[in-house]
Amino acid sequence: MNRQNTFVTIATLALLGFAGTASASIGEAIHNMFTLPANTGAINTKAVSMFFGFVLISLSITVWAAKRTKSTSDFYTAGGNIGGFQNGLAICGDWCSSAALMGVAALIYSTGFDGLIYSVVPFGAWPLMMFLLADRLRNLGKYTLADIVSLRLARVPIRTLVAGASLAFVVGYLIVQMVGAGTLISNLFGLNYEMAQVIIGVLIVLYVAFGGMIATTYVQLIKAVLLLSGATFIVVAVLAKFGFSLNGLYQAAVDNHPLKTGVMQPGGLLPDPVNAISCGVMLIFGGAAMPHVLMRFFTVPDAKEARRSVAWAATFIGYFYLLTFVIGYGAIAFVMKNPDFLDAKGIIIGGPNMAAIHLSEAMGGDLLLGFISAVAFATIVAVVAGLTIAGASAISHDIYANIFRHGKATDAEVVKVSRIAALGLGVLGIVLGIAFKGQNIAYLIVLPFTISSTVFFPVLFLTMYWRRLTTTGVVVGGWLGLATGILLLVVGPTIWKDILGNAAPLFPYKYPALFSMTVTFVTMIVVSLLDKSERAKAELASFDDQFVRSQTGLGAEGAVQH
Amino acid sequence: MQHLYKLIHANPRFHELERKRSRLSWTLAVIVLANAFWYIGATAFYPEAGFARFWGEPVGEGQALTWGIVIGLIQTVLFIGMVVYYISRANGDLDALKDAVIADALRAAGEQK
Repeated sequence: MNRQNTFVTIATLALLGFAGTASASIGEAIHNMFTLPANTGAINTKAVSMFFGFVLISLSITVWAAKRTKSTSDFYTAGGNIGGFQNGLAICGDWCSSAALMGVAALIYSTGFDGLIYSVVPFGAWPLMMFLLADRLRNLGKYTLADIVSLRLARVPIRTLVAGASLAFVVGYLIVQMVGAGTLISNLFGLNYEMAQVIIGVLIVLYVAFGGMIATTYVQLIKAVLLLSGATFIVVAVLAKFGFSLNGLYQAAVDNHPLKTGVMQPGGLLPDPVNAISCGVMLIFGGAAMPHVLMRFFTVPDAKEARRSVAWAATFIGYFYLLTFVIGYGAIAFVMKNPDFLDAKGIIIGGPNMAAIHLSEAMGGDLLLGFISAVAFATIVAVVAGLTIAGASAISHDIYANIFRHGKATDAEVVKVSRIAALGLGVLGIVLGIAFKGQNIAYLIVLPFTISSTVFFPVLFLTMYWRRLTTTGVVVGGWLGLATGILLLVVGPTIWKDILGNAAPLFPYKYPALFSMTVTFVTMIVVSLLDKSERAKAELASFDDQFVRSQTGLGAEGAVQH
Repeated sequence: MQHLYKLIHANPRFHELERKRSRLSWTLAVIVLANAFWYIGATAFYPEAGFARFWGEPVGEGQALTWGIVIGLIQTVLFIGMVVYYISRANGDLDALKDAVIADALRAAGEQK
């Protein structure tokens, strides 16, 4: 039972970050992180200087990119001129937040085998995206997800829904990253929490407002290369200790872990299969429809390059997930019994989220620790940059240009609003990061995935595949699903019981995705079928044209020639 | 453009393209979903369910490595392999067929003028 509790707790926080636990108070967790005996007050100069190197390079790229960012298309899609390989790496950068490294390792460290569910299952989103969404997305889209849905359906209500949900997604994800960054930085670099917020906020505004998608792409790309090489180095070092025998590593993990052979067996989620399935639905379908990731499909010239991007992205991300099979168990083997990384009670310093970081120190001393810390910070900066550009596109392209200006805004006006939106999101990130310091934000980790599996996946999927879909169906289904998802989160165990202090949750499951996604699908289908309006008839009639375009790419947005 | 869309939609080769692509996509997608939910199911129903029981067993006498780990590794590699297979088909014969369909439509549009 205890094992299950630990699993569910850490599972939640490992989704995106290391924000705190659902059952223990986050204040305590953060306090623990602040009072690291090894790091208190001392600034880790190696880590800081390596991170400074990353900042210098990325800012030089931003200066270069700023000169090439003039039109809206440059700003949001780098003119559609990014190649498949570069885009694949950049997508890997967008996808792998620090959770993929630290969160998954933390889960395996605590619960063993079940932690791998966060490697294998979310990765399933990649082939799914490739087979069902990638071609059609590229052929139908321009800058944002709302472009695809409003191609055939009514512009204003559709964009209001999709842009609204995108902003909720971005802000929720942003807070998690900012709070995670603050904790991580104070912990690793010896800088204070507020300082970390300001550094990230300023960097993001510089990257996005000036360098647009070109700068963001290269920031992601560099970060992905750093993350993959750092993780590879750790894995080679771990395996070398066992003469490159996987079995040797797992044997050492079995010997060290209190669960013994249980660490190699499934088991944590048994008492609650519905929660497990709902969590799986959220990871795979939510993962397949995240706006900041899908937006990257529009940066390539055509569907062929979009497929190449997905193939490269899947290769890099899959490779990274394979590494987590070694990193998590490596931490059990080299950190769990090492007094350097344990406090007086024998508990890992900084919590399980530090398992991968401690492992890097165990494998490569100060230098590797500094490198991995710098990579972890760069990772957060890059993910926040990707989120910011997705949020800025929802504000300027969907809300400003299409809803308020009815598509009549000039290119220069839209770019200006985009830059202001990026600045606004940067400031908002800093403010919210500081406001949420010490708060229990476990629900915010589930929120973005819930939104993307509940709104974006069903809406995109039916838009592309179902001819009878109508505007009324999308609007009613989308808003109802979104409301259901948020309501179930509020009355679920995380908020209702842990934060609001009620005795029992009104809704027993931590992950509402299975239920809220079903609500969206069923409502969209039923309402569309009942919709007999003239508009619905016109929408039905225009499906064939959209379908031909989605299959052939004829009439799709092309690359901009400079 | 709409005229071209109508021409393409009337072309039987377009429907051949669509059928081929959709058969490929859905077959692969079902394999992925089955694998992902097998994994989730195994963690949720271990050790009672038959499809999960052997996941906790060692791959050999005296080995620490279990079938569950091996399956997870294989699934990850399999997913990468499936993506690579899909792209070889989609960017290969399916794109060739797509180009032919577009060429047909452009030719037909030219003749009508």
